[in-house]
Amino acid sequence: MRNQLNQNSHKLQATSHKQSRFFGFKSKSVLFTFAFILFTFAFNLLSLNLSAQKQRFPKPEFETGYEQPSPVTPEPRALAMEYFDVLILILVLAAATYFALKSRSRQGILWLSIFTLVYFGFYRNGCICSIGAIQNVTLTFFDPAYAISLTALLFFIIPLVVTLFFGRTFCAGACPLGAIQDLVVVKPISLPKWLNKTLGLIPYLYLSLAVLFAATGTDFIICRYDPFVGIFRMDAKFLMIVLGIAFLLMGMFVARPYCRFLCPYGVLLSWMSRFSSRHLTITPSKCIQCKLCTHSCPFDAIDFPTNEKEVVKSGLGPKRFITYALVIPLWIALGVFVGAKSHTFLSKANQDVYLAELLIAHPELRNDPDNIDVQTFLASGKPMEQLVSEATAIREKFYIGSMIAGGFMGLVIGMTLLNTVVFRKRQDYEPHKGNCFSCARCVDYCPVEK
Amino acid sequence: MNNQDKLKLSHNIALIAGIFCAAVALLLLLNFWQITKTDPIESKALEALVERLKDDANNEELKEEIRNFDLLARKAYFNSQWQVETGAYMLLFGAIVLALALRLYYSAKSKIEEPEKVLENEIASRIIAQKGIIIVGAAVMVLALLASFLSVNQLKSYDASALVADNETPVEEAVEVINVAPAQTTSNEVSVEATADESASAENVTEETSTEVQVEETSSEPVAEKSAVETKPAAASSGITLAELQKNHNSFRGPLAQGVVMHKNIPTEWDGAAGTNVVWKAEVPKHGFNSPVIWGDKLFVSGADNTSREVYCYNRNDGKLMWTGVADNISGSPATPPRVTEDTGLAASTLTTDGNAVFAIFGTGDVIAFDMNGKRLWARNLGVPDNHYGHSSSLITLNGKLFIQYDTNRAGKVMALDNKSGETVWETQRDAKISWASPVLAEVDGKYQLVLTADPIVAGYDVGTGEELWSVECMMGEVGASVGYADGIVVAANEYARMVAIDIRTQEILWEDDFYLPEAASILAHEGLVFVATSYGVFVCYDLKEGELLWEDDFGSPVYSSPVLADGKVYLMDNEGVMRIYEFSRELKKVGENVLGELSGPTPAFADGRLYIRGEKDLFCIGK
Repeated sequence: MRNQLNQNSHKLQATSHKQSRFFGFKSKSVLFTFAFILFTFAFNLLSLNLSAQKQRFPKPEFETGYEQPSPVTPEPRALAMEYFDVLILILVLAAATYFALKSRSRQGILWLSIFTLVYFGFYRNGCICSIGAIQNVTLTFFDPAYAISLTALLFFIIPLVVTLFFGRTFCAGACPLGAIQDLVVVKPISLPKWLNKTLGLIPYLYLSLAVLFAATGTDFIICRYDPFVGIFRMDAKFLMIVLGIAFLLMGMFVARPYCRFLCPYGVLLSWMSRFSSRHLTITPSKCIQCKLCTHSCPFDAIDFPTNEKEVVKSGLGPKRFITYALVIPLWIALGVFVGAKSHTFLSKANQDVYLAELLIAHPELRNDPDNIDVQTFLASGKPMEQLVSEATAIREKFYIGSMIAGGFMGLVIGMTLLNTVVFRKRQDYEPHKGNCFSCARCVDYCPVEK
Repeated sequence: MNNQDKLKLSHNIALIAGIFCAAVALLLLLNFWQITKTDPIESKALEALVERLKDDANNEELKEEIRNFDLLARKAYFNSQWQVETGAYMLLFGAIVLALALRLYYSAKSKIEEPEKVLENEIASRIIAQKGIIIVGAAVMVLALLASFLSVNQLKSYDASALVADNETPVEEAVEVINVAPAQTTSNEVSVEATADESASAENVTEETSTEVQVEETSSEPVAEKSAVETKPAAASSGITLAELQKNHNSFRGPLAQGVVMHKNIPTEWDGAAGTNVVWKAEVPKHGFNSPVIWGDKLFVSGADNTSREVYCYNRNDGKLMWTGVADNISGSPATPPRVTEDTGLAASTLTTDGNAVFAIFGTGDVIAFDMNGKRLWARNLGVPDNHYGHSSSLITLNGKLFIQYDTNRAGKVMALDNKSGETVWETQRDAKISWASPVLAEVDGKYQLVLTADPIVAGYDVGTGEELWSVECMMGEVGASVGYADGIVVAANEYARMVAIDIRTQEILWEDDFYLPEAASILAHEGLVFVATSYGVFVCYDLKEGELLWEDDFGSPVYSSPVLADGKVYLMDNEGVMRIYEFSRELKKVGENVLGELSGPTPAFADGRLYIRGEKDLFCIGK
């Protein structure tokens, strides 16, 4: 139906002006000039990259023609190429913002997301990505020995800054994880609001755990459990491949499930986007209340006009607002309590804590030559006392961290509840600034012209 | 192409793509299952073949069969991996086609619909959302609490057990130190307690409690008499006193590795070839240059070749091999042993024992402990030593710690492992080059030090903490001779370098000499005398305090074995199997010269009335 409507709206606004555009650009020459500059720059950097990767000692050559696989995926990249990635990110973000806000071209964003998928997804093997950069930034704050690369920092900051001004155009066209999900949307179903709200808690939980594990130097869980990176690299473990495919299959009907109900970076982008002054609008001018766009968003991110009578009648008024507001500290206290209690459990994910506890609970494993963890530790010559004291220090960090994470979750639950009784006066159909991915699907449904 | 055609085409493409994806996915699953079953490293058939090879090590046909099987298994494994990778790409391609076809299908199928007149009731939805948020929020909290109650903090239990162990050990040691010396008089006991108290209060290290023991003395020889009445601190550990160490011969060059043993009635005449005064002779299965060590009735040596490394326990009374311990399946142990020279081998380091366990180290870096009945207690690899001749520094134990000098071409270090668990108790980096000398225990003011020599430092380490107490830069070259220690003086020497006598308390160099220098034989210092054996066959005696050359015996055959003082005589074995016996005296007085009948090199071990010599192939018990 949406495509029919799409065709319909195209008919309505078919003007020679629009037909002359390609991806929203005024003429093809601009595109070619842009592409030429881009590829010339890429070629120059690529040759620089090759020279930078020359081995100090050549690898042995085998008569059989066997090529040694690289031990690291993706392979380390020359610094210049890392900056090239940053440049590409900036260009893609600029293009996505241009397509979403200026030229209002869904087609442009679609092709841009295909480019992103190919470049940042399959070519760059899903690394570096802004989502995972959360952990690098966190670790920088908590581990003085860890130095974040400028690239990781820029990948973390640039999309947030752009979002702060223009909304989540990063999600629309610059995120490979979003792109792969967006391309498989076939017949999206609309989820009820309550389900959207409830599932919307998960990204906050994921974010708090990711920050907790990164801050304690335990793990980068966002990268470890990235369902799509295995598809990009074609080397994931079986279960991760299954998870990735499951997400894609689900994504055919529940659009962008990872972005909406898991992505921790989405939480930060959502916060930024709420303050964006120049966010994508459904209509380029004034809403005529035609309701054609009501089902255009596969992500249920369009807010409808407020029915004030219904609101007054519902009783979800100031009384409940005050109640929920007063309950927030209780939610936070509960979260802190639960966090403090569960720090032992959470810290078991740390490799040092796990090993120390394993050796304490099962000292007989020292004699098990097949237990690689134990044998590696024993071969290292590190005393058990040192391991235990390190594990205890990590557990102490978890104690503090878990309380903060628990308190944060309590705050999120309290605020989400409070949000359900807050009504903003809305006359028109508008994208929800926090949840809208700026994919510009709705734009094509609006019959209004400038 | 009209809409109907589009619909039909996309439907058919989607159908074909769907079937294709399903088929590829099924094949991938099958392949995945196959890969898990055919891991070449886990192959049972290969294991069986390798087991067969162990019994029949020289079966070339079997070796070839194993190689072929291994290659086949690997080929199959990598072939399956290739199939999985290719299949994954095919599935991805199919999925893309399917998704595009479905998109086209649904867009062609969709019809223009009027916007819904009645939208979702937002108020009702918000009320349900509130319930949903509360339920999910509460569920997260409850699950976290549940997980916290189900998880146990094991780290706390470690702290508790560690504290108990720490509190118990010194008490045990203190009690045992006193109890184990039944021959002591009342006055001795008082002095034991007093010294122990002093040591504990002053140093707060009860494990280094000192005591005085009097060794029963019957000998008439003046020098031996002197040594017998000397007082020495006890090596209090796990119930072991110095007296008990002196009853045995638990390390290279005897108790404390100083080359002085207290046993009596040691034979001075024998003939290995003719069997004169040979109590028994037993062949050692694998070669090694390590010297025998003794505890009670048990004698230990080790042997190694490129295929395996073994520890042997003999009944020292009849020469029967009681058990063989194999140092295998040690994590980190290299599959192929490091290259070592023939005159060092992989089993050059002498074992040590504390009466509860016997410890061995091999040129592979493997350290292993067996109990006295041959049961393996622990084993670990310290990292393959980067040593161009082969690791040869011997082990020594005291206070429940096993000391290892691990100076390699990469770095110099000395470490102590826990006798019971093999865990590192301390490890100290040494500012020293590679060396082959063994650690020597030296008692200074009631406390023990571990004394090591290497290029460029001779240094003492606290046995309890590993702290470097002192070091003197005076040595150079490839140091193989261990130090001698007596009367507070450390004597260190190395061929093509020099010999120095160092006051262990002030680190003052008392004297030095560079005329007769040892290459491999360690230095014997005792009661004012120093003995040095050069590799070209000159045995020399110096005055310990002044460095004056007292006498020399130039017999001309190479010596790697170290001189040992026993029963008032100094025993020196040369590489050709001839043992020369000298009186412990300021004048040269040769007591005897006996032929073993085979080449030798290790240093002999002693027991009352017995002498144990390891030859190139056999182990000899000399006695009457």
